[in-house]
Amino acid sequence: MPYAPEHDEVPNPLRPGLRAESTPEPCAVVIFGASGDLAHRKLVPALYNLALGAHLPAAFGIVGVSKSAFSHEEYARDMREALGRFSRTKPVDPEIWQDFGAGMRYVSGSFDDPDTFARLRSQLEELDRTRVTRGNRLYYFATPPSTFPTLLRQLKSAGLINPPLHPAFTRVVIEKPFGRDLASARALNRLVLETCDEKQVFRIDHYLGKETVQNLLVFRFANSIFEPIWNRRYVDHVQITAGEELGIEGRARYYEEAGIMRDMIQNHVLQLVCLSAMEPPVAFDADAVRDEKIKVLRAVETFDSPDQVQRNVVLGQYTAGSVAGADVPGYQQEKDVTQGSRTPTFVSLRLNIRSWRWDGVPFYIRSGKRMPKRATEIAVHFRPLPHSLFGAGTTLPNVLIIRVQPQEGIALRFSAKVPGERYRPRTVSMDFRYGSAFGATPEAYERLLLDALRGDQTLFTRRDEVEAAWKIAGSILAATESSEFPPPHPYPAGTWGPQSADQLLAGDGRAWRRL
Amino acid sequence: MSEQYGEPIAAGAAPHPAGELEVRFDRGVDLARIEQLLQQARDRGGTGQESVCTLNLVAIYFTQGQYERAREALEVAGSAHPCRLLVLVADQLTEPESLTARVSVVRSGGAISMERIVLTATGRAVRHLESAMTGLLHTEVPLVVIWGGRPQGDLLVRAVESADRIIGDSGARPPTFLADVAKLVARGAPIGDLAWARIFPWQSLAADVLDLPNLREHRGNIRTARVVCAGAVGAEGLLLLGWMQSRVKRLSVAIHAEGQPEEEPETSHAVIPRAERLGLGHVSRFEFTSPPATFTLRRERGLLLAEVKGDDDGYVVNRVRLPPDTPGRLLGLELKLLAGHDELYAAAVQAAAKLLPTGTS
Repeated sequence: MPYAPEHDEVPNPLRPGLRAESTPEPCAVVIFGASGDLAHRKLVPALYNLALGAHLPAAFGIVGVSKSAFSHEEYARDMREALGRFSRTKPVDPEIWQDFGAGMRYVSGSFDDPDTFARLRSQLEELDRTRVTRGNRLYYFATPPSTFPTLLRQLKSAGLINPPLHPAFTRVVIEKPFGRDLASARALNRLVLETCDEKQVFRIDHYLGKETVQNLLVFRFANSIFEPIWNRRYVDHVQITAGEELGIEGRARYYEEAGIMRDMIQNHVLQLVCLSAMEPPVAFDADAVRDEKIKVLRAVETFDSPDQVQRNVVLGQYTAGSVAGADVPGYQQEKDVTQGSRTPTFVSLRLNIRSWRWDGVPFYIRSGKRMPKRATEIAVHFRPLPHSLFGAGTTLPNVLIIRVQPQEGIALRFSAKVPGERYRPRTVSMDFRYGSAFGATPEAYERLLLDALRGDQTLFTRRDEVEAAWKIAGSILAATESSEFPPPHPYPAGTWGPQSADQLLAGDGRAWRRL
Repeated sequence: MSEQYGEPIAAGAAPHPAGELEVRFDRGVDLARIEQLLQQARDRGGTGQESVCTLNLVAIYFTQGQYERAREALEVAGSAHPCRLLVLVADQLTEPESLTARVSVVRSGGAISMERIVLTATGRAVRHLESAMTGLLHTEVPLVVIWGGRPQGDLLVRAVESADRIIGDSGARPPTFLADVAKLVARGAPIGDLAWARIFPWQSLAADVLDLPNLREHRGNIRTARVVCAGAVGAEGLLLLGWMQSRVKRLSVAIHAEGQPEEEPETSHAVIPRAERLGLGHVSRFEFTSPPATFTLRRERGLLLAEVKGDDDGYVVNRVRLPPDTPGRLLGLELKLLAGHDELYAAAVQAAAKLLPTGTS
């Protein structure tokens, strides 16, 4: 846990200057939704890899909770098999597994049944005795949001949530979506905070666990050359793209409810906007970083009328087409999608940030499913030259591209002289690739789980952040979900969205970057 | 140096790099020829000729054998920190005079992550190594020198002057060498030490224990500290005590040897890295008292256990898994600091040197 002295206590004399990262305190992780996809594919593999890298305390245990009937041994076997399939490091180390698997327990039961939580309690007490987990608990809600109220209520009634200043910590990790609009997000936050303190709540957005997203902070605030030009005087506009090749992959029920705005924009993409646009924090700690992020969200201009939304937002929905050389069905043909569905699978929008740094610099965002390729990037387009010394049209403005995925890295586009010819500039690119420079990076969930175990909330979203993001997304959804709003523009799968998305920029004399 | 402490940064020989190009020089060193060979080595891979370089890593050894034993560690560290690796083997005692350059590249993630140039000089040809090295350095990135010899001599003095950091392993030498290291550090030498990186888990666990809410009350009353080393008193134990003394005023300290180091495992380099064996002089136990509480940190195979006894019955407060502290990984940790001082180390090594018997140098 990061060292945070109380005002009247003696500071830890052994902590200052240590270069080794601290190991989390002994702890039991409780996964609700333990038989689900997230636990199999991400959570347990992430915890195992943390154990493999000696990042976990040896005094550690996992309790899976879900309706499916498993014994402890069966659950451990199931997870061992999941590791064989989904762990980023293979083969599974038998010695590490022996200890890791020995700390695995399972509680079967309904979340509505108080007996489930009574059995969970005795299981946790058993882990405290046998694995020295010392009463510390991290609850991970890998379940639909509709279960959160029940889980919180039951945990509270069973005496499984300690107050924030209790020597044994209780932390709750909540998966997105955090509500489906501002009102439900507020209601959920109220409910969570009736049971826990904000310091105990970890709202997870796995985008923030990506190394390249974190690198944005390092890139901006550990280099002195970029920050002076990172503003309206030098930046013409910013383009953020988050495109996926994939369609909805059998998740029609979820997607019909969510659509692209709730699935990508309200959380992941607005986080990218925050990290690109925020001011330097006064310190690199959870609250200082999040204070600056929220200032950006508050400065984003919300849309007051459907007309304003129509001028700044383009929605799309994919039709049948070809992606990576294969025929794919249109959204309307996907299994379980309602006939005539108006759910958008693509959005492009123009955001204005009303601040001294960014006023007048549009942030163009596009995100969609069934794009030609998977690509997430932030492209900062600098202003064109005031006067072209080498002839009109011979140079292009500088662009700085931060590639989030794939081929994570940073590229700078600039002009160079073509050798031999008199003075003919040509656009070239200086490219830094993260993978080449630093090799394999850990999975986002590894970083985020480790931070949650350490109690570091920097990469987790705070209550006010979630609500501010919903205010922006909500101002768009209020208009686009009205029956009077035009339906999404169709676009063939395997393209970068409908033509109207291009027109959104063309109207400003700009164009999307070709990816 | 004493054989029983092993060799600095020795992790074992890696297989000889495939596609290594070699040239022998009869007179001086032709740097252009080495650059040519490097280009050939890059070209051999076809695609992915982009080189990534975050530092110049210069490793200095005095026999070919020393380098062979360190090669794996250098590769592991190089994979975490893309670099130009310049290995200088200065074997002055072997005749006749000769100078050979071997050049190869290591690829990772579609790019060249390590450009390796091994310059081996015997006899009087050793005098050319320093100028050759200077000519082969990348200009834009820091220079880190790995020093395989005693912390003495002209070559080290010149390395101190030109390098951003110098990394050695005082744990591979009798502890009296810490006195020499302390002198260098006092003169401002930016020294890194694998023995220091080896005690990170001990330091971290000791600090973690005092962050536990019910044990924070003991922070202000630490009175004594005691370290037990395996087989013989080693630099790690002295550094650990030196660190404690530099952090806690009026601390009474003691160090002694007990038991034996662990046997070498049958296969020293498993596919999956795990905690290294308890070597000669390594720390096996560390205690500090804050009356009435006694904190004991002890090693149990791959685990570090922290226990507290005092006004309670005594209980294990924390157990952490020891990281796979192979020399390559430790070197990788030290390379995270690319320039300047590790202030904590500087204070610890000064305090550790004072714990040596007087007259030691």
